[in-house]
Amino acid sequence: MNNHFIFKKQAYLFIAAMAFLFTSCKIEKVAPVAESAKDLTGTWKVIQATRNGTNLIPIYDFSQFSIKFDAATGSYNLINPVPFLVSADGKFSLDDPQYPFKLTFTATGGQPVATAFNYPINNGSRQIILTFSPGCAQNTYVFTFSKSN
Amino acid sequence: MKVRLHIKGKNLWRLCTLIVLCIVLSCCYTIITGVDQPATAVVGSTVNITVHVNNSCNSGGTAHFVFGFLTPTGWNTAQNAKITYTSTKGNGNMVLIPSTTIAPNSNGVNWPLYMKNTFGNAGNLINDVQWTAYESDVPITYANGDKISGTVNITFNNIGADGNPTEVKLAYFVANDQNGFTSDGNDGDSSPTTEYYNEFINTTCFTLTGGTGDLVDFCNPQLTTIDPPKSLDNDIVTLTYNNNVTKTALAGAPAVYLCATATMSDGTTVTVCGQSANTMLTQTTSTSGIYQLTFWPRKLFGAVAGQTVVSMTYFITDITGAKQVGYGNSSSPFTYKFKCT
Repeated sequence: MNNHFIFKKQAYLFIAAMAFLFTSCKIEKVAPVAESAKDLTGTWKVIQATRNGTNLIPIYDFSQFSIKFDAATGSYNLINPVPFLVSADGKFSLDDPQYPFKLTFTATGGQPVATAFNYPINNGSRQIILTFSPGCAQNTYVFTFSKSN
Repeated sequence: MKVRLHIKGKNLWRLCTLIVLCIVLSCCYTIITGVDQPATAVVGSTVNITVHVNNSCNSGGTAHFVFGFLTPTGWNTAQNAKITYTSTKGNGNMVLIPSTTIAPNSNGVNWPLYMKNTFGNAGNLINDVQWTAYESDVPITYANGDKISGTVNITFNNIGADGNPTEVKLAYFVANDQNGFTSDGNDGDSSPTTEYYNEFINTTCFTLTGGTGDLVDFCNPQLTTIDPPKSLDNDIVTLTYNNNVTKTALAGAPAVYLCATATMSDGTTVTVCGQSANTMLTQTTSTSGIYQLTFWPRKLFGAVAGQTVVSMTYFITDITGAKQVGYGNSSSPFTYKFKCT
């Protein structure tokens, strides 16, 4: 009698546990958020520039220089050029539009020049930081661009 | 078996304690007593330099002997200098310390940077010199009271690898890899110094003659300097004119101007000699006497595609262009070659 009651109690407990088990687990369907492709389209101007660590902004005029990227045609234009990775207009490409690590410039009629692509957000707007040596290899320049429009 | 293990463990503890004590107390005062160095040499020749070192130890321990050598960057010292040591504790080779090795008491930088931070450019006026760091191939064991003397022997092959005749103050330092550049005041054992390191700057300029390049004078203040010291026409270069070096015709001018003639790769010459904003060197402060112009040589000289600027000769002039200052305040122009070595 006593035993029978215990078994019955265990059966109820088992059923209740199973009920909880089946209702507790829900498969949540998380919609994957696609990483946006990095669109460089626009005109970019130099806001910081260093040569071997020396700040060039007070001593060299970068105000006229800008790069215009057009993602639709894959081309870039240099306006009032300064010493840079490339010296003529041409095509550009990112190694991966979603997760780019490299930016490649190919001047018209020239060889592709690749550089590490650094694309941080500063004060809510994107910046491009490029490191390169247009002259002697031991002279390193770091330009920080921000979109001007 | 058990007994043997017990003895081993005991020895291990003793050894550990000894090592810890050695690290804490590892101290040898050190000094460079002299440097045998020629006053002059020819570019591309082999130069032998001997550095005499004395050590006085106030505790026992083990340490690598560290040696640093300041030379112009263009000499490729790491490749061209072969260094050995002889000492009363044995002889051996000095080997390059990897740039990944962090120096002790250096706030986490490697030896060459530690030397640069501590000793700077050793009085050289152009920031194009570098420290190269070496250590003894084996650690040297010393006892309390040891007086160790030795020499560091440098065989510098192909000196002046960049081909430039040079005036430079060579500098040397010695240290050990336990103490770094530290010292204490316990100079109670008649040691030569209270420093665990010592620096020796040869105040007499070492003169390198011959070579195909332009004279690089690290020793004497120059009327004009170009930064970066080694650059091409596609660099952004800063020309500095220092009117304080000597009394020139341009004293007190609010601004001075560049009057330059460039030689292009196709043999043509381009002269830029107008007194305009493009050629104006502005004074850094109103009375500093130091004037600067930062320019892009390709643009200044109008180099077209396929053409490069090889070299330039230049004068510094006043606003009228009538008063000119040339090399060494003479009537011959300053010269600069655009090259990377």
